Amino acid sequence: MDFRTKRVVDFRTKRRGGLTAALAAVLVAVTACTSSGGDKPGPGPSDQPAETARPGVLRILAGSELQDLAPVLEEARKATGVTVQFAWTGTLDGADAVSSGRADGKYDAVWFPSNQYLRLDPVGKSKVLSETPVMVSPVAIGVRSSVLGDLGWGDGSKVTWAQVGDAAAAGKLTYGMADPSRSNSGFSTLVAVASAFSKADSALSEADVQKATPQLKQFFTGQKLTSGSSGWLAQAYTRAESGVVGALVNYESVLLSLNKTLPAQQQLTVVRPLDGVVSADYPLSLLSSAAPDQRDAFQRLTSYLRKDEVQKRISEVTLRRPAAAGVAPAAGLPTDRRPELPFPGTRAVADGLLAAYQNDLRRPSRTVYVLDTSGSMEGARISALKTALGRLTGADDTRGVRRFRNREEVTLLSFASSVKWTKTHLVPPTGSQPGPQAELAAINADVQSLSATGGTALYDSLEEAYRVIGRQQAAANDDRFTSIVLMTDGESNSGATDADFKRFHDALPAWQKSIPVFPIRFGEAAVSQLQGVADLSGGKLFDGSGSLDGAFEEIRGYQ
Amino acid sequence: MKRALGVVAALALLGWVAYALVPEDKRADVVTVSGLIGSEKRDFFDNPDVKAELRKRGLEVKADSTGSWTMSEQAKNAKGLDFAFPASAAPARDIQRNWELKDSPLVPFYSPLVIVTHESAAQVLKQNQLADVDAGSGVWTFRMDKYVEALRTGRKWKDLKGAAEHPELAGMLYVSTTDPESSSSGAMYLALLAYVANGNQVVSDDAGVNTVRDVLATSSRLQGMQKISSDEPFRDFFAGVGTLVFAYESQAAALPLQGKSTGDMVVMYPDTTVQSDHTLVARTDNGRKLADVLENDEVLRKLEARFGLRPQEDQEAFWNLVKDRKPPSFARDLRGSGFKQATLPSLDNLVKLTNAAKGNA
Repeated sequence: MDFRTKRVVDFRTKRRGGLTAALAAVLVAVTACTSSGGDKPGPGPSDQPAETARPGVLRILAGSELQDLAPVLEEARKATGVTVQFAWTGTLDGADAVSSGRADGKYDAVWFPSNQYLRLDPVGKSKVLSETPVMVSPVAIGVRSSVLGDLGWGDGSKVTWAQVGDAAAAGKLTYGMADPSRSNSGFSTLVAVASAFSKADSALSEADVQKATPQLKQFFTGQKLTSGSSGWLAQAYTRAESGVVGALVNYESVLLSLNKTLPAQQQLTVVRPLDGVVSADYPLSLLSSAAPDQRDAFQRLTSYLRKDEVQKRISEVTLRRPAAAGVAPAAGLPTDRRPELPFPGTRAVADGLLAAYQNDLRRPSRTVYVLDTSGSMEGARISALKTALGRLTGADDTRGVRRFRNREEVTLLSFASSVKWTKTHLVPPTGSQPGPQAELAAINADVQSLSATGGTALYDSLEEAYRVIGRQQAAANDDRFTSIVLMTDGESNSGATDADFKRFHDALPAWQKSIPVFPIRFGEAAVSQLQGVADLSGGKLFDGSGSLDGAFEEIRGYQ
Repeated sequence: MKRALGVVAALALLGWVAYALVPEDKRADVVTVSGLIGSEKRDFFDNPDVKAELRKRGLEVKADSTGSWTMSEQAKNAKGLDFAFPASAAPARDIQRNWELKDSPLVPFYSPLVIVTHESAAQVLKQNQLADVDAGSGVWTFRMDKYVEALRTGRKWKDLKGAAEHPELAGMLYVSTTDPESSSSGAMYLALLAYVANGNQVVSDDAGVNTVRDVLATSSRLQGMQKISSDEPFRDFFAGVGTLVFAYESQAAALPLQGKSTGDMVVMYPDTTVQSDHTLVARTDNGRKLADVLENDEVLRKLEARFGLRPQEDQEAFWNLVKDRKPPSFARDLRGSGFKQATLPSLDNLVKLTNAAKGNA
């Protein structure tokens, strides 16, 4: 990853000619080793994972929520001499990395909220040698206190999934939830509601999912925020106007920790539905490919983490429950029990549930891509863009992590000195004739027709995207997750300025103001301009300079 | 088999006595013994007293803990292993076959399989004749024939008298186990269930497999995803995950024996029981030495009992420790207390039963 950053710096000092070729080479190299782009290392308790194994160092591919364990791992390092190096990724992407062998030799262990999805795959299952559950947290609903009162739910300790579903269907409960195709909290929520609504009373079958479909659709009308990461979800909840988002679905520990930073009127009451929860037990898992020295380090670290006093400390630091007998959970964690809803036992059921969520159950999306096709994009850049966007029209995507979803409205806006063209496609619903394939092929045809010429009127074009959405919304009067992706390789050099855009944005009606823009930095893009757009709109900046494929795919979790 | 074991033990004992006579400070360096252990024995091998005693005997154990059947898979390729220590005889036989070993492996200790639950669930099961508690000893039993019937008829907790008062008792009635493809306790559970569902006879042919197929498949289907090895569901139980959890008696007994609170945990013995013979397959002399000291070193035997294990060569050690610590109540001697012992199927039939449970072709 150092490599990636360094190369980007190099680009800026080079002249354009050699640059495109170098970029193309790096793109190939990076996409070959990370198809998802999700395993981007972030800040951790220590350095990023090294390429090769070193004595006393465990390289762990992990869920980013484990950042909160940093103080415990620092104590562990002092006590055991084992240093942990983390690389972060989503649970399901991480499972893919293990199953495909991409983790072999690169990481010594994996540490996700759960290995359930990983173990559905026979190859993935065989790659894990040893698991130690470290701490437990159930997925719960954090309800804004005022909403809790309006719903008459008292202190929240006697609420069932049926009540939650009814409140969502009646428009009285709106919530944010992470994308289940990426995040374990989202997936666990999906399993829990499908179990509860189908009255399966045991592990879900395909028939159960069918049976629960009408109720699930109603439940998901209440989902107002989607996200590829829990961090952004919490931010989006915080900035949403009161009344727009009344609740967040996430791990109990995340909700309780969030309360420490939220102002009084935004405090969340943690509701664990009476009829069942799905819990994460954070198994620290040794990969079979690990070398003897790393195996030894793994044993030392897990032995330490299992100690009673360390379990107690973990609970206090993270607000998760100890995975040990006789160790009391931290203050504030309720101890009354909930039935544990089982996780599907087959990949077919799990992937079927995810595909149903993306294509049929959730609110559909209105997705606008604002694409820079100025002259500087010519050559390798425009072909990288075509590849990255074209991948989103492919059929090879069993759990709905990339492909444009059935019922999704996709608009492509090609711009340079001005908007060149705008094309809108509506992917038809499941079961329609002709099926989604024809429309996906039409989107791809438009993508492949992109050509690079002209200047960069960034803000003008972005403003046009808002107007397009305004017309679309007025014509359809429908209820969709609406968002804008802004991809550029340069600085805005014609038309409106950032100050103009700020005025434009300030004058928008509230519903349009809340549309997040997800800029992708690429080439010589002006990071400050893009960050400004992300901050103003409540979006998030993505880095496409390493892997454009990865950035486009990652953003799917937010659309 | 028994006789052969005795001979090996006696020879080993001689060697050990000779070794023990050497003064401690004159002993050769401690050798590292590498192996694979079932995750249920992890705490035992992690214990400082156990480590110290092993070091006195010249051994330092480095072991990865995993599921017993995963271990059998791993052992095929792993070089440099001195031993493998699964939780039962079947994976041990499989490992022996792969390592082309002829000598009989040692069984230093054993542990019956139990079902751990909370007081509320145990009482509801009792009210509905699915469980019983002995007034004198306080030992709980789990009625396997009634349970098989419950699986066959799809009974739910809400069908049971008294369950309504406990909202945490919801969904279908089933015991949670580990994955029988990776873990010995999950496989032992299938063997037990098959034995009872087959009219208290071991399944010894395809007709038998077919007789029990539906019950086994139901038991697996209800559970959905299962954990890789027994340490995980047992730990999760104390974080509130799981209602009826299949576990080793040793896991449950180790807690009170080490002064840990078990809350309202109840230990239920299936009235037809299976026991796990912790079987050490030694590939090298150092591995054999480890097996030997685990079986014969008196200090280690005491430590084994302290971890809830029942040393083969000291049948009362376990009982002497647990008898005065209640609750939970533990059984003294299952055979002597009228528990039927399920006969375990052959390795081939166990594989067939696992496939039947998983719905594999």
